[in-house]
Amino acid sequence: MSASPIVSIANFRMQFGDNVVIDDLSFEVNAGETFAFLGSNGSGKTTTIRTLLGIFEPTAGELLVKGRHYDPSMSAFLGYLPEERGLYKKESVLDTMLYFGELRWMSRPAARAWSLTYLERVGLADKAHVAIEKLSGGQQQKIQLGVTIMNDPELMILDEPTKGFDPVNRRLLMEIVEEHSRRGATVILVTHQMEEVERLCDRVILLKDGRRRLYGTVDEIRREYGEEVIDLEFNGQLPLKGRRYEAKLAGKRSAELVAADGCTPQQVLEELVGHHDLVITKFELRRSSLDDIFVNIYSEPTEVPVG
Amino acid sequence: MRTLSIPVLLAAVIALSYFSSQVSNEADQKVQQSQFSIAVEDASGLVGPEVLRAAGAKIVVGKASGIEMVKRGQVDAFVYYPVGPAQHAVEVYAKDDGIINNAKYSAAASALLKAGVTAKLGGGEAVSLLQTPPDVSVVTYKDGQETKGFGRAVAPGLFLVLFYAVIVLLGNQMLTSTTEEKENRVIEMILTSVTARTIIVGKILSLVGLGIIQIVAILVPVLVGYFGFREVLNIPVLDLSQVSFAPWPIGVGAAIFLGGFLLFTGLLVAIGAAVPTAKEAGGFFAVAMILVFVPFYALGAIVTSPDQLVVKVMSFFPLTAPITLMLRNAVGNLSAGETAVGLVILYVTGALLMALAIRIFRFGSLEYARKLGIREILTRRA
Repeated sequence: MSASPIVSIANFRMQFGDNVVIDDLSFEVNAGETFAFLGSNGSGKTTTIRTLLGIFEPTAGELLVKGRHYDPSMSAFLGYLPEERGLYKKESVLDTMLYFGELRWMSRPAARAWSLTYLERVGLADKAHVAIEKLSGGQQQKIQLGVTIMNDPELMILDEPTKGFDPVNRRLLMEIVEEHSRRGATVILVTHQMEEVERLCDRVILLKDGRRRLYGTVDEIRREYGEEVIDLEFNGQLPLKGRRYEAKLAGKRSAELVAADGCTPQQVLEELVGHHDLVITKFELRRSSLDDIFVNIYSEPTEVPVG
Repeated sequence: MRTLSIPVLLAAVIALSYFSSQVSNEADQKVQQSQFSIAVEDASGLVGPEVLRAAGAKIVVGKASGIEMVKRGQVDAFVYYPVGPAQHAVEVYAKDDGIINNAKYSAAASALLKAGVTAKLGGGEAVSLLQTPPDVSVVTYKDGQETKGFGRAVAPGLFLVLFYAVIVLLGNQMLTSTTEEKENRVIEMILTSVTARTIIVGKILSLVGLGIIQIVAILVPVLVGYFGFREVLNIPVLDLSQVSFAPWPIGVGAAIFLGGFLLFTGLLVAIGAAVPTAKEAGGFFAVAMILVFVPFYALGAIVTSPDQLVVKVMSFFPLTAPITLMLRNAVGNLSAGETAVGLVILYVTGALLMALAIRIFRFGSLEYARKLGIREILTRRA
């Protein structure tokens, strides 16, 4: 994996009227890595992507792709799947794919050959000459993904790529993304699916209140912001708070516990065993997931709005 | 198919109209030639017994008895010619033969009176001239050069027809070409490959091409019909010798047409980009079209009194200028100075509207659910 950044964002600020959406954001994406761009709804992720790709102009800061401001002449090396999905409803699947292929400087025969192979892979070979509007939502998304990757882009920016996908198609999509990543493509993944981030991504950035809140590799973030969690399964009654632990999440037969400050999981187990009306069936240690960390970060009090 | 649907529909409407006109003319002739019994009282003394006898009419004394004869079915029609028929209406009382066929009675009454008067005058050229206005040819001169009169308005006037055709054929498509991008939500992907300016220019060029195809699709059958089947279809011969092809009015007409096209294209694309759906755009489209065609309601003033304030205002207000200037250029009351000012206004406004359209398209095309305000459009960084 090369160390030179393919995307470089420095001191980015974005303001629409009196509303500051992004305030002083800086990060880099290295060539060849898979990078997760996280944040709650409305945190500015899509605005950042659109500004990076030249659709918006920044209020301040610099956003560079391959060392320069992005312009449409660079489209041959980019694959962009926006959050707002859309294709020309009245056009056929194949015509749509050929159109987008040619927009990205593919030759028509090459675009046609690639499209037919892709349609075969995703189970839509018989839909090549069917109008887009006649496809289901999931099928249309597969076409949209195909259009995004057909020019074998060096940089793929996927904004919520699995939104609306069933688990089977989600896995198929992730396989395709992984293939491109293994071939050296850089992937920026905007997503809320933490299991995808943990499985695929090398580094992560989390936005909160228009600023960078987390930034680093997945392991670094887990080590710094995560905590040891005890997965407990039981029969009987579990007190939600003990001397040595606190239950973060509790159901009728399972719970997630966190040891109190200064206490070890062994001590927590001893305390639990001491409860006469509690029978433990499972006691397992793990590090908190990115999902847990995300929720904790977003549970923190909101900062005073800037500007 | 969709490209040719409008010309095909127009051709069908024109063919239907022509067919209806032909059938109606034939029916009209039939009515005129049908025979019926007639009784007449000639109080005016202008028709004369000889004419009445030649027409086979029965002479009656007393209006009441003539009417009674019709009521009883003894005659089909009774005509009463009053004293002073130029001041008092000729009265016809007749059997009802249907709305269309009843026209034969008044035609017959008029024909009898005409025949009577002609007979009294003794016929000859004087009577022919009274009956049929003579042909008059007019030759006009300007600065010592012969001008073609009405013929000079034909060629530059064609740009007016062309402008109207473009707006009718393409106006709605210009509007929806940008709203469809928003409704399809494709634009965000497109904008990473193509600039907003390229998209807009491409759309306009493609719409122009579409318009040309549609106009050709209308013209070709018309020309084939005229040159190949003129006699069969009863189309009158067009005498082009009276049409002037002077370069100045044609050049000015073309320049105004292009400026007007640029202006309205920019306006319609801007409207389409600013609103979220085609339905909302429709309201603005209606207003734009009213402004385009308002000058036709002041046609008389534009043609006869170009110095009137309202004509001057319409000549230089951008949205009414194209039609007003083309009309004035066609009839020859547009000075060189006014031409220059008008063209500058058209092209500058057109260029500004196009720039605004591109700006609105760039920001508005991603606002899927709301209209952009003008302040937001102008202050957003581009």
